[in-house]
Amino acid sequence: MNKKKIYSTWFIVPSLAIFTIFFLIPLLTSLFYSLTVWDFKTFRFVGLDNFKMFFSEKSLSGSVVNTLIYAVLTSGLKVIFAFFIAVFLTSKIRTKNFLRSVVFFPNLVSTIAVGITFAALMHPTKGLFNLAIQAIGLSGVDWLGNVHVALYSVIFTDIWKGVGVATVIYIAGIQSIDKTYYEAASIDGANGWQRLVNVTVPLVRPAMNSVIILSLIGGLRTFDLIWAMTGGGPGFATDVVASVVYKQYAAGFYGLSTAGNVIMFILIAVIAFPLQKFLLSREED
Amino acid sequence: MKFKKFSALLLATVMVAGTVAGCGSSSSDSSADSSSDAAAEESTDAAEEDAATEETADAGDASFDGVTITLLKDTDIVDDGINAVIEAANEKLGIEVEVEQRVGGADGDNIVKTRLASGDMADICLYNSGSLLQALNPSEYFQDLSNEEFVSKYDETYKSTVTVDGVTYGVPVSSSQAGAILYYKPDYEELGLEVPKTWDEFIANCDALQAAGKTAMIGTFGDSWTSQVMYLGDNYNVLSAEPDFAEKFEAGEAKYATTPAGVESFQKLSDVQKYYNEDYLAATYDDGCDMIANGEGTHWVILTQALSNIYSLYPEAMEDVGVFAIPGDNADDNGLTVWMPSSLYVNKNAENMDAVLAFMDFWVSDEGLDAYASAVLPDGPYCIQGYELPDNAYPAVKDDMQAYFDAGKTNVALEFLTAVKGSNCPAICQECGSGQTTAEEAAAAYDEDCKKQAVQLGLDWK
Repeated sequence: MNKKKIYSTWFIVPSLAIFTIFFLIPLLTSLFYSLTVWDFKTFRFVGLDNFKMFFSEKSLSGSVVNTLIYAVLTSGLKVIFAFFIAVFLTSKIRTKNFLRSVVFFPNLVSTIAVGITFAALMHPTKGLFNLAIQAIGLSGVDWLGNVHVALYSVIFTDIWKGVGVATVIYIAGIQSIDKTYYEAASIDGANGWQRLVNVTVPLVRPAMNSVIILSLIGGLRTFDLIWAMTGGGPGFATDVVASVVYKQYAAGFYGLSTAGNVIMFILIAVIAFPLQKFLLSREED
Repeated sequence: MKFKKFSALLLATVMVAGTVAGCGSSSSDSSADSSSDAAAEESTDAAEEDAATEETADAGDASFDGVTITLLKDTDIVDDGINAVIEAANEKLGIEVEVEQRVGGADGDNIVKTRLASGDMADICLYNSGSLLQALNPSEYFQDLSNEEFVSKYDETYKSTVTVDGVTYGVPVSSSQAGAILYYKPDYEELGLEVPKTWDEFIANCDALQAAGKTAMIGTFGDSWTSQVMYLGDNYNVLSAEPDFAEKFEAGEAKYATTPAGVESFQKLSDVQKYYNEDYLAATYDDGCDMIANGEGTHWVILTQALSNIYSLYPEAMEDVGVFAIPGDNADDNGLTVWMPSSLYVNKNAENMDAVLAFMDFWVSDEGLDAYASAVLPDGPYCIQGYELPDNAYPAVKDDMQAYFDAGKTNVALEFLTAVKGSNCPAICQECGSGQTTAEEAAAAYDEDCKKQAVQLGLDWK
């Protein structure tokens, strides 16, 4: 018995070693360095000053709020849009395969390329969006220049790009629903809407949970799209935690930027774990 | 049973070894490289330094046929001048120089810092002088040039901006320049305007231009660094109101928010917002060059290095573009804020140190300067003593800027006087210049931002 246990333990060693080297050790060192001011060579212990600075300075703490808005909106809207697109794409339509590819295509393009392209489309005077709006007689919007709009313009782009993956997950979920449920519902006299609400929605819940968790964590960590489209600007209007961390690193404030990473880690953990638990508990009901 | 245990152990070892080899090959390579480099460097450094001083003494005869050195530069600096010097150096010394390009701005800073930290820097690195150099921790990475002969030719102000803790590191890559207002002369002639000496006159000019249906101000906030030139270029006015502002600021005693002249620098950003081109938040530095050369806007607050960019695109437009300093309140004390050029720094671990140093020596020799000037005209006076502006310099430099120097009405930007520069300066100026914050808020935000740099530098700020 005992020997058998040792035997199986050996199989954990490789993955445990990798986990320790690439996750645990960096995590612990970054926890340590977030409490210091350092320049790769020397460090000075400053306690929680970095964290205090992160939350007291408007330009830094604002990024936490932006991150939450970004994550919740992108995740929520992807969940809703992708569901209806998936329902549409699993119905009896002729160009199903073609349309499925089209929905997925944006996801194949590099995020930076998408960001640059949309930044050009959203240019206030030369961009296609505003030219189109002006052509029908309305006045254009400064998509990325207006501080109240900029973040939502990036969110829109993120949804455009990310909705494809969510749709694919949903399609898989919907297709695994047994046809007999629909037949039974039809025989009981349920119309299309009732079948959707009472059969599809509850049975697609595992897929929906994956979409929520994946897109929320993706939204909390977002960086590349923000950086390509606005660089956090105008001013600090679209700064998220990841872009702030990057900027502090570029400025040489390694301790502060490590602290930002720790904050991001905690933020994601605090949101993702309870949410996952909650969603799973609902799934089991 | 024994065999099973053994095979399990074997399997585990193979898996670990496999993954470690797979994942870590590149990183272990480079770390091994850099450590052996460092060791080699320690031992050869002393020897090389001796050799180098001997070689540079008679650099004229030294030949480095077939030696290739590398140079990392950012794309904002015009290539023509650098290429011209490289060509001349190749002819004279036989050195081949391979130029690597990087982006400017925060991304560029990241590239430089990462490559320095990972021991992957080119032999020569082009980077800012002044406070940004100090933030790089130069003694760790760059070669001490204090004892090189050519350093004695440096202008004192320039020298102080590439000297950290008494050690000189840099070689000026080009001429000095100014943070000032470029203006389109035909518009001024058309409306009969005078070059403004005070801020009120400047605003009056902008009003007149706007009334005439012109775009009075060009804003290029799409490249966020350009937004800070107004505030940075106002330093002459800050210093003439508070001569010891720089020292007090570094000591943490003076703040922008509590210095009236300091708040005014940000106020100027707010004042001009209504004159900007419609797409000023999206327009880029390159757009700005096009606009000022073609008269699509009348004023552009920018570094005068833009003159060289304009010249390489529109050589015929140079007669139309003039320069004046960012005006203050006092017409009698109207002066220019000068920028020291970026510098070339020598990687401590450069493989062919003597070739690199010979190249540096050539760079600031009359021949090197002539070669540079033959391709790119200066954006301001040179930082090498006794090397004068060429006769064919841009009118904006020869006439407009030189007048400030002749009258002694110049001062350098704050980043060359103190090590403290807020890293978020572009974003803060962008915020203020687009009307999101007031001048007072921006000044306070900048003070707060500088505190981070002060902490990093170990200064005792409250």
